[in-house]
Amino acid sequence: MDDKLKKLESAALKALKEASSPDELKNLEKKFLGKSGEITGILKGLASLSIEEKKSIGKAANDLKKTLAAKFKNCCNKIEMEHLNKTLESDEIDLSAPGRKHHIGHIHPIAQTQEEVERIFGQMGFTVIDGPEVESEYYNFEGLNIPAHHPARDMQDTFFIDKAADKKEGRLVLRTHTSPNQVRTMEKYGAPLRIIVPGRTFRNEATDASHEHTFDQVEGLMIDENISISHLKGVMQEFLSRLFDKEMKVRFRPGYFPFVEPGIELDMSCIFCESKGCKVCKKTGWIEFMGCGMVHPNVLKAGGIDSEKYQGWAFGFGLTRLVMMRYGINDIRHLTGGDLRILNQF
Amino acid sequence: MYISLDWLSDFTKLPKLTAQEIGEKITLHTAEVEGVEDLESKYANMVIGRIVELKKHPDADRLNLTMVDIGESKPVQIVCGGQNLQVDMLVPIGLPGAKVDVHGSGDIFELAKVKIRGAESHGMICAGEEIWMEPDNEPNSKKDVKIKDLSHLNEKPGTPLAKALGKSGSIIDIDNKSLTHRPDLWNHYGFARECSTIFKQELKPYEPKAAKPDSTEAKPKATIKDDKVCPQFSMAIMTGIEIAESPQWMKSRLEAAGMNPHNNIVDITNYVMLELGQPMHAYDRKVVGSDELIIRTAKDGEILVTLDESEYKLNKEDPIVCDKKNEPLGIAGIKGGLKSGITDETTEIIVEAANWDPIIVRKCSTRIGLRTDASQRFEKGLDPSMTETAVNRAIELIKELSPNAKLISKVETFGKWKPGKKTIKVSPEKICKKIGVEISEKEMTRILKSLEFGVKKSGKQLEVDVPSHRATGDVDIPDDIVEEIARIHGYDQVPALVPSFPINLPVKNEERFHKHDARRILAHNLGFTEDFNYSFYGEDRLEACGLDETKHLKILNYLSEDQTHMRTSMTPNLLASIAKNAREFEHIKLFEIGRTYEENGAYMPDEKKVLAAAISSKSKDEIFYEIKGALEAFLQNFQTGNYKLVPSKDAPSYAHPKKCMTILSRGKQIGHVFAVHPGVLKHFDIAHQVGMFELHFNALVEHGRNTVKFEEPSKFPAMNLDVSVLMEEEKTVAAIESAIRKTDKEKSIQNIELFDIYRGKEIPENQKAMAFTIQLRHKDRTLTDKEFQETQEAIFLALEKLGGKIRGRN
Repeated sequence: MDDKLKKLESAALKALKEASSPDELKNLEKKFLGKSGEITGILKGLASLSIEEKKSIGKAANDLKKTLAAKFKNCCNKIEMEHLNKTLESDEIDLSAPGRKHHIGHIHPIAQTQEEVERIFGQMGFTVIDGPEVESEYYNFEGLNIPAHHPARDMQDTFFIDKAADKKEGRLVLRTHTSPNQVRTMEKYGAPLRIIVPGRTFRNEATDASHEHTFDQVEGLMIDENISISHLKGVMQEFLSRLFDKEMKVRFRPGYFPFVEPGIELDMSCIFCESKGCKVCKKTGWIEFMGCGMVHPNVLKAGGIDSEKYQGWAFGFGLTRLVMMRYGINDIRHLTGGDLRILNQF
Repeated sequence: MYISLDWLSDFTKLPKLTAQEIGEKITLHTAEVEGVEDLESKYANMVIGRIVELKKHPDADRLNLTMVDIGESKPVQIVCGGQNLQVDMLVPIGLPGAKVDVHGSGDIFELAKVKIRGAESHGMICAGEEIWMEPDNEPNSKKDVKIKDLSHLNEKPGTPLAKALGKSGSIIDIDNKSLTHRPDLWNHYGFARECSTIFKQELKPYEPKAAKPDSTEAKPKATIKDDKVCPQFSMAIMTGIEIAESPQWMKSRLEAAGMNPHNNIVDITNYVMLELGQPMHAYDRKVVGSDELIIRTAKDGEILVTLDESEYKLNKEDPIVCDKKNEPLGIAGIKGGLKSGITDETTEIIVEAANWDPIIVRKCSTRIGLRTDASQRFEKGLDPSMTETAVNRAIELIKELSPNAKLISKVETFGKWKPGKKTIKVSPEKICKKIGVEISEKEMTRILKSLEFGVKKSGKQLEVDVPSHRATGDVDIPDDIVEEIARIHGYDQVPALVPSFPINLPVKNEERFHKHDARRILAHNLGFTEDFNYSFYGEDRLEACGLDETKHLKILNYLSEDQTHMRTSMTPNLLASIAKNAREFEHIKLFEIGRTYEENGAYMPDEKKVLAAAISSKSKDEIFYEIKGALEAFLQNFQTGNYKLVPSKDAPSYAHPKKCMTILSRGKQIGHVFAVHPGVLKHFDIAHQVGMFELHFNALVEHGRNTVKFEEPSKFPAMNLDVSVLMEEEKTVAAIESAIRKTDKEKSIQNIELFDIYRGKEIPENQKAMAFTIQLRHKDRTLTDKEFQETQEAIFLALEKLGGKIRGRN
């Protein structure tokens, strides 16, 4: 009987190995494991045997049944997979056809860059501050050491609000720079200070490809007992290097802004030609980036800070200009044009 | 302003550097140089040529083959596309090696001997824009171009172009804006002083010979009616003047500095201004009629015709110079009058140099819209001590250029101004502390003395005397001295240091984080694109949206009619953006975070940060539900705490009155969600529906954001119950949901979702079929069929009680 089982096993395994189609396999399964299959036959024949034999042969036959069932299952899976793979061969699609569109929105490039600027200065311990866009003449000019009839007021053509002036604060204007927040923040927090103020500013000038009456600036202010021009250089070099993700150099040269003394113009190494000289940097290797300088004692005084004890610097750069430079946008009006064909690129 | 290096060399020795390098030094230490023109090298390898032969290029329609005489033994062949070429024409030739500005594009190109379509070309014939002359063509035009015709110059072929055009020496162009605070630099001597300090060279003193009068028969007199207007007034009388053309050297210098020569006397007054920085004027003495001048402010409506024959109506603040009869002769500090100007017939003159109040000149010049070389200088605040020096220098030059001229008076000076002394005490230690670099006292002293400051040691401090040319507002406080030291010592010497960081953390600004979060949710999660619009709009949009005009701030000096009012709502400009994009896009989702500005009666207006979003869709499905869904997804994603949406009682004027809900946070209104009023859409020419929400962003942030409360997911399966019910139109989803909820005694209703509302065929009028999926799940066990049946029955009964008819149930 044992013998018979062994023969049955080898016959079944051989047949399995040779089977190549699901139909063939089904027939084999029927032949060996089916209701009237060979193993069932053996099990049915057990009745005529001794109890001992019934036990041992019965177990062996059942084990064989399990083993073969598992083998059949495996083989069946394999053959089915082969068969499926064959049918897949003819199931071809045009891979070059586009993927189905998933609509996503876009954050304005100015907002994106602004966040990055805030993040970098945040890492350097600066607080982000904001203030009113409709500002008083006092904070926009007088507080910043720009009295009435100062020629510097010419440099900043101003929008005025049609409203009666306040005796102390003057007329209402649309802030021409983010600098009014220097005095506002000094008044509120006192020294030491380490802030940036990103925000919208306005100039009353006709728009063209490089001029816009509405644009964004970032103001910076750092005041403590020993803050010097060398720290301004260090912080800006670090900021620009992080922003452009490469080592940047800055160059200082004298400049004039009434609210700083000394007044400084900051140039950064040209990002387009690695400072070799190109059309953008007018062959100088430097790009004009911002105005800055040591906070004028009159401004500290306006902010209620003791200029004998504290000193520091301030800067202001054009965020809009930075965005244009970063992305190679040649017309500033694209940034407030609301044109989705442009906005969707960012 | 143009500075000629040649002129500077009159006063100080310039180092052996190129003009470019000198320009760079000036940029780094004094003022921004916008450009440097080294005229000889700029025009190197350019000559005058004469066309001797002209024919078509055999292989190119638009090109000519020319033979050009360039002063050498044989003419050379040059290929040229110029359409105005003619035989015998004199033209500018760029020979191989010349650097030209091709098509005036700004790209500098070095010429070489080349073959063009097979024909050899020995350089090129240039157009005006290619050699920095008056352009002959539109920028970058390449078709039908013209070249520069120089036939009028009458020069020999081969003459260097620089010579033929009178271009020699080097000129540095200084950015005027960088001189706003430096009245001492609006002239050559000032820059010579700077250069002598930068390059550590001697500066020759500016000391014209004090003029010796030939007689004192004339007694010049100035009556100053207002001392504030005119602190100093110097004058002298000369006769025997012969008006003539100025010599070439003077004309060249004036031209180099950008001024046109007129005649010797006018040229001398301009020359002294360009050299010393003191504007001057010469009057025809015979026309003036006496040697007395009166300085006063004008009467309202007084008229003056200036030298350029323009008529100006003056007012009582404008400063004028008058003759003895009180008749105006000129606008003080701005421009002389036509009547008493120098003409070819002039033989006697009054030479004048005065100092005028900067603010008075500036106001007048701005008001009458006349800015001149003189007013530009006076409004910076000039050194009053210069007036007499200037008159002496002018007399010196007049005697040189008009040798028969006689000085028949002393040089007389009037005015209340007296030289004073301004001393600033500053500690060298403090200077170093501000700059952040060690600079020796010796170097500080060298710098200051070279700039003509007086320096004296006094204890630990330096006592610095400010020279008169820097004392008119430019140098007042120790920080001004810091600047002098820092810039001359050199900012390149300042190390780049990162300051040490404080232990205390910076003040938080949560709102910023929230704002960037909101952007990401709207853009990246919900598919809205961010738009930046102007902060203003015009009356047209304001009215179209039905906004209250009185709540607006108006701009006094607006740029255009569509930018007159500060926005009180984001809606008008966002709608305009949608209209603009509607041609290209069928489905538009925009958002903007910006400010609104509202008049509130107080001095400072209400400035709010607002988040607004808009969806415009071609689909006919009700847009309100789409924007409401977007708002809910946003608020959920933003983790807004308990907020409520309630039907609006007073919808904004631009909202559909029946499709608008108010967003409440702790009972406070923080915004609206709505479908835009069809009438408003019509005005903006928007054909599709638009849904919007506006949120007061500050209030939203104030409202607070929830943290997530974790809930263990149930182990037991859910069962879905679908109900379709026929209801009267006025029954709301909220009412039905509430009725269903009320049946839920076992707390097994997890979710109720409306998945369809159907009207029309088979549905009676004024009714709607609504289909809900109700998800049932018990938190402790699997629901039994019986429980499911009971719940369903209870829900059916509740809906029937509400007047509904359950579909598919008898």
